[in-house]
Amino acid sequence: MKSFNYVITDEVGIHARPAGLLVKAAKALSSTVVIKSGGKSADATRLMAIMGLGVKKGTEVTVEVSGANEAADVVEIENFFKNNL
Amino acid sequence: MGLFDRFKKSVSQNTQNETQAVVDNKAVFLPMKGKVIDLKDVGDGVFSEGMLGRGAAVEPEDGKVYAPFDGEVTMVYDTKHALGLMSKGGVELLIHIGLDTVQLEGKCFSIKVKNGQKIKKGGLMATADLEGIKKAGCKTVTPVIVTNSDDFAEIERVCEGESEVGVKLLNVK
Repeated sequence: MKSFNYVITDEVGIHARPAGLLVKAAKALSSTVVIKSGGKSADATRLMAIMGLGVKKGTEVTVEVSGANEAADVVEIENFFKNNL
Repeated sequence: MGLFDRFKKSVSQNTQNETQAVVDNKAVFLPMKGKVIDLKDVGDGVFSEGMLGRGAAVEPEDGKVYAPFDGEVTMVYDTKHALGLMSKGGVELLIHIGLDTVQLEGKCFSIKVKNGQKIKKGGLMATADLEGIKKAGCKTVTPVIVTNSDDFAEIERVCEGESEVGVKLLNVK
């Protein structure tokens, strides 16, 4: 399992638009991507679960990536966070 | 066809619809009174392109939001502008009241339900101050999205135009 921490800079946090993009990005990977925040965790391919984390601007999340292709996928998803969140 | 015949026909259709409602536990019913439109006519990329899932949208005439099926509230967002629901038939639904209304930070919304609460079709879940939303510069058009669309083969909008709360909105198979 690979992981990284990231502080959200998007104004509205992980809400509809960024959450939709995140689901799309996560579904494109073979690894399982889990977002953890405030004691809760969510599968990154489940839109409602991600939005339900209620992640706001300034919140630090932990992203865990696991699977056969985790080394490459963690880089992809970290780039996604930097570019979109 | 006389007026009475038409009346009879509409009564028998209604009865049929009600029977279906009980059997078809995947159907989604209209949560707000207003004009039903296609998602692609919402005019907001994230919803129109189906990025969050398939569904429909309503231009509400009235700010009251009613349960669209029997099920459970899975998510009440802090900002009160969106509700996450799960139906008994496994349909995960997002009702997003207005566009960009996350920015209102709860102003204009009153939510009557809690996370985990069981809901019955037609029960009042929330009220939105439509005038307030418009004054704040946001649109009131409300997308109703099946967020687990990938779990179903078919999601079809079965109602259009001015409609009353509780008519069948989506057929899900």
